Amino acid sequence: MTPTSNPVTRIWWVYAVVVFIMAVFGVRLFYLQVIRHDYYVQAAQSDQLKEYEITPTRGIIKAHDGSRVVPIVLNQKLYTLYADPTLVKDSGRVAETLAASLGGTIGDYENKLDTPDTRYVVLAKKLNQDQKEKILRHKYPGVGASEQFYRTHPNGVLAAQLLGFVNGEGKGAYGIEQALNKELDGTPGRLKAITDINGVPLAANKDNTLVPAISGDDVLLTVDVAMQKQLETILQQGLEAAKAESGSALIMDPTSGAILAMANLPTYNPDDYAAVEDSKVFNNAAVSDSLEVGSVMKPLTVAAALDLGVVKVDTSYFDPSVWEIDDYKIKNVEEDGGAGQHTIGDILSLSLNTGATWLLMQMSDKGGTEVNKQGRQRWYEYATNHYRLGQATGIEQGYEDEGYMPEPDKGYGLNLTYANTVFGQGMRATPLQMAAAFSAIVNGGTYYQPRLVDQLIAQNGKVTTKKPVVLRSGVVSDGVSRDIRGLLNNVIAKRQFKRRFDLNTYSVGGKTGTAEIAKPGGGYFDNQFNGMYVGFVGGDMPQYVITVRVNQPKIGGYAGTVAAQPIFAEVVHMLIDDFGVTPKGR
Amino acid sequence: MTYSSSLALGRKGNYPSRGVSGVAFNTREHAFGPISNSIILIVLACCLGLLYLAQVTKTNAFGYQINSLQQEQTRLNERHADLEVASARLQALDRVQNSEVAKSLVSVAPTATVQ
Repeated sequence: MTPTSNPVTRIWWVYAVVVFIMAVFGVRLFYLQVIRHDYYVQAAQSDQLKEYEITPTRGIIKAHDGSRVVPIVLNQKLYTLYADPTLVKDSGRVAETLAASLGGTIGDYENKLDTPDTRYVVLAKKLNQDQKEKILRHKYPGVGASEQFYRTHPNGVLAAQLLGFVNGEGKGAYGIEQALNKELDGTPGRLKAITDINGVPLAANKDNTLVPAISGDDVLLTVDVAMQKQLETILQQGLEAAKAESGSALIMDPTSGAILAMANLPTYNPDDYAAVEDSKVFNNAAVSDSLEVGSVMKPLTVAAALDLGVVKVDTSYFDPSVWEIDDYKIKNVEEDGGAGQHTIGDILSLSLNTGATWLLMQMSDKGGTEVNKQGRQRWYEYATNHYRLGQATGIEQGYEDEGYMPEPDKGYGLNLTYANTVFGQGMRATPLQMAAAFSAIVNGGTYYQPRLVDQLIAQNGKVTTKKPVVLRSGVVSDGVSRDIRGLLNNVIAKRQFKRRFDLNTYSVGGKTGTAEIAKPGGGYFDNQFNGMYVGFVGGDMPQYVITVRVNQPKIGGYAGTVAAQPIFAEVVHMLIDDFGVTPKGR
Repeated sequence: MTYSSSLALGRKGNYPSRGVSGVAFNTREHAFGPISNSIILIVLACCLGLLYLAQVTKTNAFGYQINSLQQEQTRLNERHADLEVASARLQALDRVQNSEVAKSLVSVAPTATVQ
């Protein structure tokens, strides 16, 4: 018997072969599963493991409408309809459908669909879901839609510069959108999961991770939309009457710093910001464009002099109608009545530059008729520390301008420069800075930080109410504040208005400003002026502070009087008629 | 049953009968060999594997259900957002101002100021 014919031996051979084959498999499996483990895990995960960033929903912006709260900026998912011309089979039929559903001409659509040498043409943008589905249900080859989130503004241009917009990169630009981008934007979430071939996450994987996105906070503004709308209308009419191309106006609550309305013209539609050619239009000029404010500075100068105790409200002085400082002459630009005895009230009601300069002279211990270092320093202290000029207010707006206040000890011709600053030349401030400082001198002496945000509402429902922030108390004494209100009431009483105010029932006060415009190379234009007005309306205490700015009106007369003052008057009437100004004695 | 008969019965199954080898009796004891054990283990492992696969498949099927529900939730949220936008547009000041109702309102002279 040969060895191979022995059954036992044959079995052993078979057994050996099986063991060998098993060993080959085992070694191969060991190589694949142990030695090459990491490589194959990575290869498998690159196909199966998907990681997605979950985009958070941007917070919406709301505003007051009387006692209601209404949304003024919302999010909307819209669609871009596109086509791959190489895949479109019947461009005529597709074009007909598009024209019938979306408007436009068949020819235009056909031209796009027949574009050679491209695989992507945009047929229409910003389609809503119904419009998109109307097209896509035809299932035309090569026609598709991609989604994109847009900010939408139901009120169109209302408060456009104050709100700003969200740019193509999804970031807030200008206004509230820029200043509160972090709060509005929210925090992205993350989904890491094993998915099937269609990208659907499979639940049975212990390594799946889901970090939900946290939506941005909703923002409730202090703005009242009805007041905002009326302010914009009045500003528009006022600018047309003054033949001015641009201007700003704002209404502030002097007892809290809350901005109730803030308007700028010209304006734009934030839904179509890409169509704007001059990016200056995006700026909230009331906040980001400082100017030499002119005589609206005089109430601040008078308040500082009264608070320093260097003059009293009933002080009278001899005004020469011209001062010579550093070989330059300080004169009055409005009707001053010539040289003579004047009161502190006259400095405001007659808008005496020479009177304001005389107050600066009195701010030094020496008094007299010279501007000196001590006077400059004291005025600088009031301008920058009490009235906070030359520094940003911190309002929730993009690109806030700090303005400029010259230092009292640096530079040349300081006496002349400082003589100019007391009537609003040689320095710069924004209408907002002026409104905040003016509020402080008429509300009893408290400087409230201007603010536009009333509440932040987190997505979990947590409401953070912003309280008024006092940046300085004792700006001027309560008595000085009372005196200033009286002096400003007298300014109004002596002025002529198209519609008179019922001054027995309401307290109205204010001051015009006509400011020369600096030339880029130095000096001032002879025939270009900006008009300003800062004033208040209320009962026993000011309830609203109003600032108006009109850039380069082209009608005769002083810009502050003929251009800005009528707008102020209309705003005061609007507030009395529609927004419940509390009468005196209540 | 008597004691002796019970002993006899008890012995019947446990002790060899007369003339039967005790050693042979021991080799007849039933036990699984290593191959049987291996097969049983493999079958058990296969059963466990099948059970695991069934559970994984079932759980993954829930993934599709979750995905479908999430899509529905997203769709409803978008619909809600669209309705909010439509509502806000309908209440927009310009639209209200230009509405037929607003146009038919009669202007009243304000009483708070002297004309």
